Amino acid sequence: MALLSVRDLIVRFRTHDGTVHAVNGVSFDLDEGETLGLVGESGCGKSVTNLAVMRLLPAPAGRIEGGQVLFEGEDLIGLDEAEMRELRGKEIAMIFQDPMTSLNPVLTIEEQMVETIKAHKKVTKKEARARAVELLTMVGMSEPDRRLRDFPHQFSGGMRQRVMIAMALALQPKLLIADEPTTALDVTIQAQVLELLSRLTSEHKTAVILITHDLGVVAGLTRRINVMYAGFVVESATTAELFAGPAHPYTVGLLHSMPRLDAQPGEPLIPIEGTPPDLRHAPVGCPFAPRCAWRVESCWHEMPPLEPVRETAEVQTTGPHATHRSACWNRPTAEEAIAGRPLRVDFVPAPEPVEVSR
Amino acid sequence: MTFSATPEAGPVNPQATTPAEAASRPLVQIDGLTMYFPITSGILVSRHVGDVRAVDGVSLSIRKGETVGLVGESGCGKSTVGRTILRLYRPTAGRIVFDGQDITRVEGSSLRAVRRRMQMIFQDPYASLNPRMTAAGIISEPLEIHGVSSGRERRDRVRDLLATVGLDPDYGDRYPHEFSGGQRQRIGVARALALHPDLIVADEPISALDVSIQAQIINLLEHLQDEFGLTYLFIAHDLSVVRHISDRIAVMYLGKIVEVTGSRDLYERPLHPYSVALLSAVPIPDPAVEIRRRRIILTGDVPSPSNPPSGCRFHTRCWLRERLGNPERCVEEEPVLREMATGHQVACHFAEEVDGTVEQVQVTGRPGKGAPAGSAGGGVPAGAETVAGGAAASTATSPAGTSQAR
Repeated sequence: MALLSVRDLIVRFRTHDGTVHAVNGVSFDLDEGETLGLVGESGCGKSVTNLAVMRLLPAPAGRIEGGQVLFEGEDLIGLDEAEMRELRGKEIAMIFQDPMTSLNPVLTIEEQMVETIKAHKKVTKKEARARAVELLTMVGMSEPDRRLRDFPHQFSGGMRQRVMIAMALALQPKLLIADEPTTALDVTIQAQVLELLSRLTSEHKTAVILITHDLGVVAGLTRRINVMYAGFVVESATTAELFAGPAHPYTVGLLHSMPRLDAQPGEPLIPIEGTPPDLRHAPVGCPFAPRCAWRVESCWHEMPPLEPVRETAEVQTTGPHATHRSACWNRPTAEEAIAGRPLRVDFVPAPEPVEVSR
Repeated sequence: MTFSATPEAGPVNPQATTPAEAASRPLVQIDGLTMYFPITSGILVSRHVGDVRAVDGVSLSIRKGETVGLVGESGCGKSTVGRTILRLYRPTAGRIVFDGQDITRVEGSSLRAVRRRMQMIFQDPYASLNPRMTAAGIISEPLEIHGVSSGRERRDRVRDLLATVGLDPDYGDRYPHEFSGGQRQRIGVARALALHPDLIVADEPISALDVSIQAQIINLLEHLQDEFGLTYLFIAHDLSVVRHISDRIAVMYLGKIVEVTGSRDLYERPLHPYSVALLSAVPIPDPAVEIRRRRIILTGDVPSPSNPPSGCRFHTRCWLRERLGNPERCVEEEPVLREMATGHQVACHFAEEVDGTVEQVQVTGRPGKGAPAGSAGGGVPAGAETVAGGAAASTATSPAGTSQAR
């Protein structure tokens, strides 16, 4: 049984401007100790999916309108707030992009760490403090005894993120959700934090969901990747397979629109034309169709299901042999994935039908 | 291209220049540029208690039509260099020469005359456009300030500019909030182009944009450079973007330039320990390449620019210094930029030692054979070890890769 199993999750936000269709039926599984990357640009639903798992959607606007979130077989959506509070931090922990906004600025690190530990474990204040020192040492903080008495603003960005990691791992959770943990950091500090994250989580066999827009970060750190677009998982594969043979036009587009450090100079970038869709409209057809170079007629009418790229007897959703799946009516071939554009003779992307214009 | 359009150019040039001279000299030349921001304390009487040494003795030249990239981590002074060149600050020391004219101390109308020829593109397209002005108003503001054209002519120019940056000319009467991030950045680019500038300083122009939009703006900037012969100073923290767009790159650390070289050379043969570490920290979106690379994890944070370390400013975090047994020279003597190869300057006492180290070779993540001339020694054993794995992996890898694609 998978540690976490998200089934057909639907999340919507009721706003003054209408209903935002943030997550439109997302399913994925995660094994114990597995690392999963969730990749996509802002507004694709990657953060909302995980806030829904943690049951931290901003109320009353954000609502889970369908699906299941099974954690060790138990549906989290049915739990009440007290039961959820028991679970958060202890079983599932989360770290955010900006550590300054997730730490309380008027309390010392000591007060915050001791409070977290004492909330879930029957220990004395002294024992909790000793554990805090131990945790700060683990994340590579020098003089942890003294630094415990500091306030968050006295730490640099990288150090604050280390404090967050220490707090997240304080209760040895089974699942760690890291939402853009290094986006606010400089590249050399990012390297420090990523190394720390991967070392600690593999030592403690913590399962990790790493949310990021940076394909480079997931390439080195995760075993499996889900690519999200407009509230759908559009491609799911092991990291090696995803980069070796992307089978969704959006993934192909992402890989070609970023300059690579090791690219030949002068190689042109192939941008993804257009802009991400407005999620206030209910999705009709594939949400990527308006920007897609591979689109065919049916893309405008029907969202393709997430299906295996190659024929297979049994679909595996987790593990090192997870089935490579993509949601596309007209998948790019291997050659096209390398070229970054359709190569078929006389292929023209299907024009937008008049009647379903959005 | 001639610049006869600026007859009012204020200060008289000491020496008259011939066209030939004008063509060969750099568009921008900065020498020993220093910019300190004072730290004051006290409520009623403010006392000067120190300086933030944002930029400390930076020299750089930018040729016409070239793109120079300025990279470094936050707080290294790269934005301050850009802003000081535009004379948004009054430099503490040093000299800025723009197209043969010393503009270090120019003020008033003659400063405005120079400013017309240099423009800036900002990072945040949400903050850099006035929300109460229409797109057309924003783009025509520079024309208004400099009294260029009016009425119908100006309206036509604005429509032209909108079309040039890939927006519908009819969008002129919309307000910034009606545009997406990428479209807003296009408006920022159109505004920068309005006065036909020679130099554009682009300060992190794409880092606030979505990944799928970034390439659109990079391609637009490249296209505009070809069309109008623009010169760019491209400031960014993202080395892969800077490498893509730049002809030459200057790496900054704590207010100093530590290495300047061609953008290809920087990746293939970095010679400053900081450049090597910076390159190694950039993740490459390809697990087959990543597995061969080894990150240099720098310890600690960047020191404060108000109290920089003595000698070489990087010595507190330098991996090479540790390897060499912590030589005192790094602490005592400040290294100067010296020429290691044609057009390749490095500010490190021990730059020779960097060449051929495993760290330098592994930055590229390529098996040995891929490394071209220059990185001879040291690369061979490392390469030999990985050839088997590398070859097997490379048959199946990298759609965005290069070797199979051509």
